[in-house]
Amino acid sequence: MGWEVVFVAQMMLLITPELCTGCRLCEGACSFHHYRVIQPSRSRITVVKFEDRGLDVPVTCLQCDDAPCVAACPTSALWKDEESGLVVYEAERCIGCKSCITACPFGGVGWDAETNSILKCDWCGGDPQCARICPTGAIKWVRADQADDTKRRMVALRMQEVAQNLMAPKRAGV
Amino acid sequence: MRFPYKGYAGKILRVDLTSGKIREVNTPKEWARKYLGGDGMAARLLWEEVGPGVNPLGPDNKLIVATGPVTGTIWHTSGRVVAVSKSPLTGIWGEAHSGGHFGPEIKYAGYDMIVVEGASSKPVYLSIYDGKVEIRDASHLWGKDTYETTEMIREELGDPAVQVASIGQAGENLVKYAAIITNYHDAFGRTGMGAVMGSKRLKAIAVRGFGAVEVAHPDEFYEFALEGHRRVLESDQAMELRRFGTPMLVAVKQAIGELPTKNHWVGVFDRYHSIDAETLREKYWVATKSCFGCSTACKKKHLVRAGEFAGTFTGGPEYEAVFAFGSSAMCDNLPAILRLNLLCNKYGVDVISAGKTMSFVMELFEKGILTKDDTGGFELRWGDYHAMLEALDMIVFRKGFGDLMAEGVRAMAQRIGRGAEKYAMHVKGLEISGQDGRAHRSAGLTHAVSARGADHMRSLVTVDQLAYWDTARERFGEDKVEGVVNGYSEAYKGLAVKMHEDAYAVRDSLIVCWYTVGWPPIFWMDDFARLAYLVTGEEAFKDVREMWVIGERINNLKRAFNVRLGITRRDDTLPERFTKEPMPAGPAKGQVVNLDVMLDEYYTLRGWDLKTGLPTREKLVELGLEDVAAELERLGKLPRSERPPEGEGGVGEAG
Repeated sequence: MGWEVVFVAQMMLLITPELCTGCRLCEGACSFHHYRVIQPSRSRITVVKFEDRGLDVPVTCLQCDDAPCVAACPTSALWKDEESGLVVYEAERCIGCKSCITACPFGGVGWDAETNSILKCDWCGGDPQCARICPTGAIKWVRADQADDTKRRMVALRMQEVAQNLMAPKRAGV
Repeated sequence: MRFPYKGYAGKILRVDLTSGKIREVNTPKEWARKYLGGDGMAARLLWEEVGPGVNPLGPDNKLIVATGPVTGTIWHTSGRVVAVSKSPLTGIWGEAHSGGHFGPEIKYAGYDMIVVEGASSKPVYLSIYDGKVEIRDASHLWGKDTYETTEMIREELGDPAVQVASIGQAGENLVKYAAIITNYHDAFGRTGMGAVMGSKRLKAIAVRGFGAVEVAHPDEFYEFALEGHRRVLESDQAMELRRFGTPMLVAVKQAIGELPTKNHWVGVFDRYHSIDAETLREKYWVATKSCFGCSTACKKKHLVRAGEFAGTFTGGPEYEAVFAFGSSAMCDNLPAILRLNLLCNKYGVDVISAGKTMSFVMELFEKGILTKDDTGGFELRWGDYHAMLEALDMIVFRKGFGDLMAEGVRAMAQRIGRGAEKYAMHVKGLEISGQDGRAHRSAGLTHAVSARGADHMRSLVTVDQLAYWDTARERFGEDKVEGVVNGYSEAYKGLAVKMHEDAYAVRDSLIVCWYTVGWPPIFWMDDFARLAYLVTGEEAFKDVREMWVIGERINNLKRAFNVRLGITRRDDTLPERFTKEPMPAGPAKGQVVNLDVMLDEYYTLRGWDLKTGLPTREKLVELGLEDVAAELERLGKLPRSERPPEGEGGVGEAG
């Protein structure tokens, strides 16, 4: 698959679980991009839900630098593209051994029963639809070397909110 | 044969619990064309299959769980689903909607609707897993609450992503306002759908599907969906709703004098700040969540960290629970309200009916109509939350006086007598939700005419209550805007309620959420027309006028269902509190509802008979409901003044 976007720097999907409301729009948009239908079971990103605790965590491929799936793949169907940072999946080479699913420490690789191939994030060719549709910023498409800054800013905003709450009684003259 | 429209699964799952038979039937194409889906399709099915003699808690009643063409797509709020049945609480049309993730899963499992009929001799649950449908034993689940049931079923099926709609002990014990709870925190709340499940000994419906939802025009749909989400994210009010959830209405309603307090006696609660959204957020908020496909994210998770109710962790409460257990019961203890809300979710109880039943009993104690002698020593006084918690337990397990409280206020008033009816806040047997027609006139009409009884979801007009001048101008025109926006005036409220009722019928059939349609006003009929076309591919849906016809058709069909059960204008009423007792205090002080003026306008615009409130043959035929007209005529339920058209052959005057 060809790249639609030329990167100036490596990008990444920055996931902030505490911002996730569990709406699963990312799953819908992912399946829509790849199959033109809405089918969360074939999404390459999954919101893991713990409803009884009010916890939602979007899980997808993290495109590791030293990727266990790449190391585990016996046919080089998975390989790291050093320039973009993407772990590329070539279905033609895949023998369906599922070693990558076993090897991935995060559950970032899934199995598609409809096509007998793996489900792995491909960044939608450079414009990840999960980040595009995410309504809360829980999934952001950012430069990898600036991800920490994005994170800092989000935390700082929350600190400002905390500070305002602390100030509130004083402002009200209490 | 493949279903001609996209969006739909094209199949209906039919389960007979008496015989154990399971079958799949095709979704009738004509139903999609005439009723869209969800509420509309369910109305058609209930009309055809549940006749007037059916006992709501008998095996002949049917529980319909319906999705719409938009369900499970990525359109904003595409996670809604509706349960429809003949209501055991009211004896008429029953419907309850739920958010969460249950609806989309039904679609992914390959069904537009699930229809359950008959009754099992032993407790069972219905499992729909990757194309395999089974009626499974639920003996080990009977007696468990909805939390335990959800966990146990997920464990049994070995998949924590199974969506579970279950009943708690309230449904098992046929509490008339028992709810169905999906995945801990979401509810099919009103009209006793949980009791219908209980009567069928159906503990739960568990669904996991791996299929897809297709749309007719993928690219345009996708862009439109993204635009829709953007419109929500750009709305300050939607984002305020995300921040505070529906309890933000507590302060809004206090400000306009419409926060039902002391069993709807007055519309202001002096201690409202103790139970409002600011207090809730500051002291108890832990997480913000959303239903499937929703950008608003109005759902909140709350935790009580200290004190008597420490450890209470609950999804919600919504505004309606806060008003029902709070201001209506004169209770300002927020942790207690959170506790009651949690227990209602676990036991599977409608918070509105439960809260209103309690405040009814409180008022009867205050007035001396009830004493401890009547209740076996139990006493319920304003604001006594310990007694409220005890009352909930008595209701759910039908202990002592709770056995009567489990029947709802209408039945209680009939049994108690001694003038209790005056304090029973219900319409057609459904306890009144958190609005007051005296401060918000169209809400009075909404409560009076809604198909399921004192309802706020089917036609509540918010552009008048919250003075959305621009939206009101667009919808009603310059000449009417001033009248419409005046919440203390009856002017044009028939028009406003009729218009919103038709629009909301489309909303409830697509299905999309009340929020961002009803309030804040973001999506309206033009959007629905475009959406319905892009999803289904039906060209006729493009025309917004077609959407209005479909909405009107659905409302006439629901009315016909009720008319067949004996509902007439006499039942489209309000408790005297709203029509005769002027609002005693607050911004709406002195206001009463002049219901008849609004009813006259409403029936006129509906094309129904003024005197009886019955739909006319002419209107039904205009909407393509000839068979419905014929059935009503056969039963003598068309207006008397109407003569059958010539050539129909000697039926004579109906009625």
